[in-house]
Amino acid sequence: MTIPILSVHVRYEQDTVAARQRSRQIARLLGFDNQDQTRIATAVSEITRNAFRYAGGGKVEFIVEGATAPQLLLVRVTDSGAGIEDLDRILDGRYTSQTGMGLGILGARRLMDQFEIYSEPQRGTAVTLKKILPRNAPYLSQADVGAIVDQINRESPRDTLAELESQNQELLRTLHELRRRQEELTELNQELEDTNRGVVALYAELDEKADHLRRADVLKTKFLSNMSHEFRSPLNSILALSDLLLGHSDGPLNSEQAYQVGFIRKAAEDLYELVNDLLDLAKVEAGKVEVRPNYFEVVNLFGALRGMLRPLFLNQSVALTFDIEDNPPSVFSDEGKVSQILRNFISNALKFTERGEVRVAARAQGDRLILSVADTGIGIGKEDQDRIFQDFAQVDGPLQRKYKGTGLGLPLSRKLAHLLRGEVSVTSQLGQGSIFTLDIPLEWETRPPDPAPVEFATETGPLVLIVENRPDAALMYAKWLKGSGTRMVHAASIRDARFRISAERPAVVILDILLDGEDTWNLLASLKASPETSDLPIIVVSTIDDPGKAYHLGADEYLVKPVGRDEFVAAIRRFAGFQQPKILIIDDDEKDRYLLKHRLRGAPVEIAEAASGPDGISMAVADRPNLIFLDLGLPGMTGHEVLSALKEDPRTKGIPVIIHTSARLEPEERERLGSVAAAVVLKDELAREGALDRLARELGAVGRILAGSAII
Amino acid sequence: MGEFLLVTIQVDMHDRLAMSLQDDLTAQIVRHTARGVLIDISALEMVDSFIGRMLSNIANMARLLDAETVVVGMRPSVAITLVELGMPMRGIRTALDVEKGMTALKIALQGDPSTDAGSVVPID
Repeated sequence: MTIPILSVHVRYEQDTVAARQRSRQIARLLGFDNQDQTRIATAVSEITRNAFRYAGGGKVEFIVEGATAPQLLLVRVTDSGAGIEDLDRILDGRYTSQTGMGLGILGARRLMDQFEIYSEPQRGTAVTLKKILPRNAPYLSQADVGAIVDQINRESPRDTLAELESQNQELLRTLHELRRRQEELTELNQELEDTNRGVVALYAELDEKADHLRRADVLKTKFLSNMSHEFRSPLNSILALSDLLLGHSDGPLNSEQAYQVGFIRKAAEDLYELVNDLLDLAKVEAGKVEVRPNYFEVVNLFGALRGMLRPLFLNQSVALTFDIEDNPPSVFSDEGKVSQILRNFISNALKFTERGEVRVAARAQGDRLILSVADTGIGIGKEDQDRIFQDFAQVDGPLQRKYKGTGLGLPLSRKLAHLLRGEVSVTSQLGQGSIFTLDIPLEWETRPPDPAPVEFATETGPLVLIVENRPDAALMYAKWLKGSGTRMVHAASIRDARFRISAERPAVVILDILLDGEDTWNLLASLKASPETSDLPIIVVSTIDDPGKAYHLGADEYLVKPVGRDEFVAAIRRFAGFQQPKILIIDDDEKDRYLLKHRLRGAPVEIAEAASGPDGISMAVADRPNLIFLDLGLPGMTGHEVLSALKEDPRTKGIPVIIHTSARLEPEERERLGSVAAAVVLKDELAREGALDRLARELGAVGRILAGSAII
Repeated sequence: MGEFLLVTIQVDMHDRLAMSLQDDLTAQIVRHTARGVLIDISALEMVDSFIGRMLSNIANMARLLDAETVVVGMRPSVAITLVELGMPMRGIRTALDVEKGMTALKIALQGDPSTDAGSVVPID
């Protein structure tokens, strides 16, 4: 039985002193006499010194050994040094220490009752010193030893140095523990690294597999895109030949034969459709499809779709409606692909809807355009919603079987949507219908900046808008127009042109047909189609000699480039210069004339003034103004008389007259005047919003110019 | 001159401390041209082989520096232990206490006119 008392760790030289002091103290407490205390302390000192000197430190344990009296004090000094080489010789006393020492081991053996030493090279040395407890010493139980330990702790004066030392020792122990843990960690780390290497190897293998798969996929795509072309030519032959047969061009078929050839034709058509879809898909996958962005309006896109889908639209109990939420901005994307995706959605919707409606809607949401096709058809079950976008996936059902498709339409749509940086999605409920949505950015890529318009010095006169993408040409026109009594603005793109037409109301538009691939024909047509701009003169200037198309679309003049200065200016004069409306104001009040002039300021009109009725009449006859503002309360000849005179003279009869008065008119009088004059406007009314709009509607071209001026 | 150096070892020295005592002491002998060294070890409860050898070394070195060394105040248990340990304390003169040690030194140095037996330089 062994009862440990305590142990002392030896790391520093001071620890050897502590060890021998501890031994002496323990020996005393165990009942050893003074002499034995010294012996024990000396022996421990010798052995501990060896441990410190030759092994760099160690541990001294004090133990009480023995189940019956007499017990033994056992001191075990262990180290993990290099071991003792000449142990046998030392123990035989034949060894002479190089350092002149060498007394330690033998001396300690002499001082103790029992002495054991065990040393192993590179493993360390353990020395066990034993001393029999004095004869009269009582038997020590665990508890007694505990009491002794307490006593030791009490006796050891806790001075600062000791405290520091003990803390130091504590720290060292912790450090040691930490070092051990670190070693463990390092080991663990090593293990992890090994594992990691395994994982990396695995990854490499996976990469290789993935590469194989990719290559296989590329091969597949190549095969498809090549083969699809090869498929198409024989199919075309079959289709053409069956058409010939069905057209009885080589003699009639009997009904059975016609029926059979009909089947051949139908099968060939189906196959043809499949091949086309496959080809498209393969092209997308092979990255052969290019996105060609251009500006387009959703309205136009929907118009085109409606026309295209009419043939599909056989079922009278299904309505196809197009719905545009307040004018989404123009889109810069690939119109063809958007159209293809929508076509696919719509034809699907029409296929699977037996009654109700298919609604195509567009709305802008932030910088995205959301196009949706909602139907009231059979719907798609939740479990199939993901699947339908996969190649060749089809939902099974009676209606699906009736309209067999290739199963490639939606996957193709999705791939196209991705090309447009967008996404397709579906929400659907079985039996209720489906909503297919295409969500694309309004701008597929950053809008190419509009070419900067050429700026011109402000002149007065009618405004000429030059729509021309080449700045040099625009500059040349500006030079030509200088001093022609016109002002000129320049738009380098259709968008800009539209903006300037609506914002600046030019008197005439010079339009170049070739504008970096933009559809100027469409601009011409839409300007001429809109009631707002239908009478805006448009002069087409182009290198394309196709006046027929231009005139057909409503162009007022067609000039083929190269165009000469005189020709150019004459054309503009014809449409802008001579069309500048003249307005005659007949009013005796200079202030009112000024106010009205001020209101018309900036409008492309020429203004003449007359301060009396006879003057006004003579000016109207001479100048033939396009519009007369007439005051009623004139001195001498009243406004009523002037009006009658104007309406009686055939030369001035057609000139619209606006009664412009501050008089409060009785309703009958107003009505009477209104039947003769074009309009009656109270002076204080003119300032109000809408008054000029009303005039504009009533007065056509002249009014439009007014409405476009700064008055409103 | 001829002073005595008195060294009282009051703490349990670890080995390096003992070595530095040995160095200090030899330097002091030269510095004070001491003729005698008294080393009081009465406070030591234990003298092991290293300290024993150190004391012995000091005595031998002092002798080479023309000084006599007397170790005083050794406890009986220490003496017994040193013998049991097999530690030969060669060349060391001992005395029971400082007074007797001083006397012993004076006797040893008798007849030396330069010796002023009265002056003692304590070193600690």
